[in-house]
Amino acid sequence: MERAVPLAVPLGQAEVFQALQRLHMTIFSQSVSPCGKFLAAGNNYGQIAIFSLSAALSSEAKEESKKPVVTFQAHDGPVYSMVSTDRHLLSAGDGEVKAWLWVEVLKKGCKELWHRQPPYRTSLEVPEINALLLVPKENSLILAGGDCQLHTMDLETGTFTRALRGHTDYIHCLALRERSPEVLSGGEDGAVRLWDLRTAKEVQTIEVYKHEECSRPHNGRWIGCLATDSDWMVCGGGPALTLWHLRSSTPTTIFPMRAPQKHVTFYQDLILSAGQGCCVNQWQLSGELKAQVPGSSPGLLSLSLNQQPAAPECKVLTAAGNSCRVDVFTNLGYRAFSLSF
Amino acid sequence: SEEAEVDLRDPGRDYELYKYTCQELQRLMAEIQDLKSRGGKDMAIEIEERRIQSCVHFMTLKKLNRLAHIRLKKGRDQTHEAKQKVDAYHLQLQNLLYEVMHLQKEITKCLEFKSKHEEIDLVSLEEFYNEAPPDISKAEVTMGDPHQQTLARLDWELEQRKRLADKYRECLSNKEKILKEIEVKKEYLSSLQPRLNSIMQASLPVQEYLFMPFDQAHKQYETARHLPPPLYVLFVQATAYGQACDKTLSVAIEGSVDEAKALFKPPEDSQDDESDSDAEEEQTTKRRRPTLGVQLDDKRKEMLKRHPLSVMFDLKCKDDSVLHLTFYYLMNLNIMTVKAKVTTATELITPISAGYWAGAVGSGAQDILTLRDYVLDLGHPYLWVQKLGGLHFPKEQPQHTVIADHSLSASHMETTMKLLKTRVQSRLALHKQFASLEHGIVPVTSDCQYLFPAKVVSRLVKWVTIAHEDYMELHFTKDIVEVGLAGDTNLYYMALVERGTAKLQAAVVLNPGYSSIPPIFRLCLNWKGEKTNSNDDNIRAMESEVNVCYKELCGPRPSHQLLTNQLQRLCVLLDVYLETESHDDSVEGPKEFPQEKMCLRLFRGPSRMKPFKYNHPQGFFSHR
Repeated sequence: MERAVPLAVPLGQAEVFQALQRLHMTIFSQSVSPCGKFLAAGNNYGQIAIFSLSAALSSEAKEESKKPVVTFQAHDGPVYSMVSTDRHLLSAGDGEVKAWLWVEVLKKGCKELWHRQPPYRTSLEVPEINALLLVPKENSLILAGGDCQLHTMDLETGTFTRALRGHTDYIHCLALRERSPEVLSGGEDGAVRLWDLRTAKEVQTIEVYKHEECSRPHNGRWIGCLATDSDWMVCGGGPALTLWHLRSSTPTTIFPMRAPQKHVTFYQDLILSAGQGCCVNQWQLSGELKAQVPGSSPGLLSLSLNQQPAAPECKVLTAAGNSCRVDVFTNLGYRAFSLSF
Repeated sequence: SEEAEVDLRDPGRDYELYKYTCQELQRLMAEIQDLKSRGGKDMAIEIEERRIQSCVHFMTLKKLNRLAHIRLKKGRDQTHEAKQKVDAYHLQLQNLLYEVMHLQKEITKCLEFKSKHEEIDLVSLEEFYNEAPPDISKAEVTMGDPHQQTLARLDWELEQRKRLADKYRECLSNKEKILKEIEVKKEYLSSLQPRLNSIMQASLPVQEYLFMPFDQAHKQYETARHLPPPLYVLFVQATAYGQACDKTLSVAIEGSVDEAKALFKPPEDSQDDESDSDAEEEQTTKRRRPTLGVQLDDKRKEMLKRHPLSVMFDLKCKDDSVLHLTFYYLMNLNIMTVKAKVTTATELITPISAGYWAGAVGSGAQDILTLRDYVLDLGHPYLWVQKLGGLHFPKEQPQHTVIADHSLSASHMETTMKLLKTRVQSRLALHKQFASLEHGIVPVTSDCQYLFPAKVVSRLVKWVTIAHEDYMELHFTKDIVEVGLAGDTNLYYMALVERGTAKLQAAVVLNPGYSSIPPIFRLCLNWKGEKTNSNDDNIRAMESEVNVCYKELCGPRPSHQLLTNQLQRLCVLLDVYLETESHDDSVEGPKEFPQEKMCLRLFRGPSRMKPFKYNHPQGFFSHR
């Protein structure tokens, strides 16, 4: 007897295009709302989707809860970086940073509150903004990206106060060292530079690729991710993922991870990292790999820990990268489910 | 006599006499007893005396007895008489009562009596007084007396009814007259028909002379009458469409009309045949059982029997190629099928493969499964074919009998014809391009040259068709298969682009809806290791450039250049990728591919994208 052959339903042009878009989507950035119940994700088409974490985590969650509550076109180019203040969502991509009100963003057809462009030197090509950093003590925002400078913008007035120059190639990532206050920046030129915000000067430079233990020339010298815990810093990218002691500028632990890492963060007494390869890696400070939890995207670009005090039930780790899906980990040991654009 | 005596005597005294007599008798008897016991001769006279006395007493007793009897009798008679009287009165009373009851019933009946006249709907009083002529209504009399009023109203009713009956008779006679007139006119018209026919015949030579083949069209319509309903709907809608909108479509009917007529034999013949054949069959089955396979085969053939008539379409496309479609109707399955053939101006192409034409297989009979074996012979039962024939098979509610519907066919005719033409044309264009691609040349037309830089070093070395199963087996196409974009109606190709030691494999999915649905590429680069979209973000970006940004590559309508432009862009992308690869300091020697492309920046963004976007006319590469 012959097997029943499933009938093929022809896909229309619009459906095929949508499927292709989703296949080629990359989610670059995530940000959690101040109330802790919503997650914003920005992709390479310039769209931002707002997911309701509380709905997706609740016990009556259905398939629709894993879809965005609202999706809107925020930028013309990819949305590389997003941060949230206590009322605003700031997103940056191709050259400008836009601000959205969190309470407005959930309604359809929301418009940006303001948008600013830092003063760029070149006009040939608009440089991208790869990283945003909030400095709460000064109420300012630091932007860094394609034009190799760190710009500081005062959030009250919107003026650009400083431009810190020093990198020779574009900047990938920023981290804030609360005590001093100092900003760390890592760039394509392979150096991690520390800047003092009060004097606006570079105080320390660590050229990671020059250290033999961690350099990996076949991957390149670029620093893709940075995280700092006052005295300590962990960075990764082309060179291996390494833990540094800042005062002495020495690498203390090298994590044995072959694939270049694109995002790293300190969490409790662990270091979480993600990059090429589908797993979220959990490291002990001693350098041992505690766990490797697979996600659903073939490569990860951003991790976000929802530690907002207002919503303890939404305390999850979300990971996103080279796909249209955001993986949600309720427990660091396994992937619970995925939200999808 | 004694009866009279009875009335005179006193019963009490008689009773005393009786008692006295009885006593005397007893005494005498006792004396006689005495005497007899004493004995003696003189006793005999005493005894005799006493005997005579007792006899006398006996006679008195007898008399008293008689009198008593008579008294009794009299008493009884009197009672009897009285009783009879009472009975008679009783009877009378009952009769009277009965009569009373009867009369009461009659009275109630009379009171309940509804006269027939109350059932007649009379007009209301006001109307009556308004309408009736005074000699009937007699207002002065009737107002006061209800009886007279009713009578008057009944009179009026009768009057009205008589009038209406007269009118009715009049109308009937009118109707008869008119019917007769109609008959006459009908006869006149029917005598007209043969005259018109003869005129038509006479005009044939004129028609031919003027090139207006009405007769031929008429003959077509005649044959069309024998078409089964879906084919008839198809024929009518297509002829209408062809005449009204599209001169490039011509419709004809092929096949044997006699066989079509023979399908509808009168039932009596077939019944006789059946009974004979049944008897025969029984005999044969007793002798020889045909094998199960043969039986099934026969049943299948019966199921798939085709109607002897078919409808043929000839669609002329702009470049002088003609698409021939022949539509058949499978009677027992109630579906239509189609066979296609393309003839171009220059060469004949073999029948277009099933994979190219879109449309799902029609639903309905489960025997569709077995149909796949017969498709080459019977034609393809596509859904669009059923829609053109007006047959609608809704998935949710399977219906047992589906009737051909003209409006369904009409609504789909134009779009289907246009789609067929575009498909044929794009398919023919593709064939020409394939011929060139197989020789390693990517044929980019001059009006699309601006999309690419002047110098493209990477070359297409191979272009082959691969099977659907082979595509599914490739390790870098899994995500396409999962999303459902790699069905079995698509065509699959493998292209190989080379430059130096770098080899780029591209697996291409060509959808039948080309070129409105773009071909989908999946890449695998072999250079310093194997790179696919799962381990290299730039390969992912390259795929995005050809798959998602395809609209820029469509070229002028009707976008037949899409595939070749995509391939050319792929070559350009490989060039950029190889030339912008950062030099590994640990490896000795110069770069294999020196950078010749003008780029503003080599890497951008967190995923370090290469500059894949070509800017015209400045000629440099930038990022999207």
